[in-house]
Amino acid sequence: MKEIMAVVRMKKTGVTKKALVTAGVAGFTAVKVSGRGRLVTDPARIEECRQKLLSMSTDDFGGAQDTEQLVTSFLDGSRFFPRRLFTILAHDDDVPRIVEAITNANRTEHGIGDGAIFVMPILDAIRVRTGETGEAAIW
Amino acid sequence: MLLIRAIVRPEKKDDVLAELSSAGFNAATMVDVVGRGKQKGIKIGGMVYDEIPKILILVAIQDSDKDRVVKTILSTAKTGSDGTFGDGKIFVSPIDEVYTISKGAPIL
Repeated sequence: MKEIMAVVRMKKTGVTKKALVTAGVAGFTAVKVSGRGRLVTDPARIEECRQKLLSMSTDDFGGAQDTEQLVTSFLDGSRFFPRRLFTILAHDDDVPRIVEAITNANRTEHGIGDGAIFVMPILDAIRVRTGETGEAAIW
Repeated sequence: MLLIRAIVRPEKKDDVLAELSSAGFNAATMVDVVGRGKQKGIKIGGMVYDEIPKILILVAIQDSDKDRVVKTILSTAKTGSDGTFGDGKIFVSPIDEVYTISKGAPIL
């Protein structure tokens, strides 16, 4: 028995749910979380994002300096962004399939911030309705 | 690999995360939670408050970094010199596999 915890983009919640159903896993628990990842070390990448954000911004409210400051604080890596945490219980054999389904559904061209998947051991599970325990309680 | 789940006071969250980041553990996930401890909640007047807001911080780390991370969280999340009820708890559990989705590979 394994517990799969997957942190994914908010926007990808629907796609992930669909991918899970296709992979044969209907049951999951989802929580709204905020997260951040490793520091981005490639300066070209940060500059690219920075230009994109600056081109979207308007200086109507705080002025150019405020905008600049806001954009910088967005990209310094200390900011938390909204994400969705999926928790899925699975039989050992199904883990690779589920991980692959989640990965395929969530990969984007950005290459950063797509989330992470943790696979952890679970000792026991009990279905409240029937009192079944162990593997039988998962699906 | 290990998953550290730390429950800390909401007002200490920024300190803990900043300290973790400067210790080299920038990646973290944060959840708003409510809970109670062995004090059975707080009694104010006749009201018992047993759903006390806390922040749950999840950090995935290598086994060798465990002591450093735990020490960092302990020293920053503590209030007062001896600690106070409600400062929180740290749970450590094993992780079998970690996948970074953007890399599509099993690496932390």
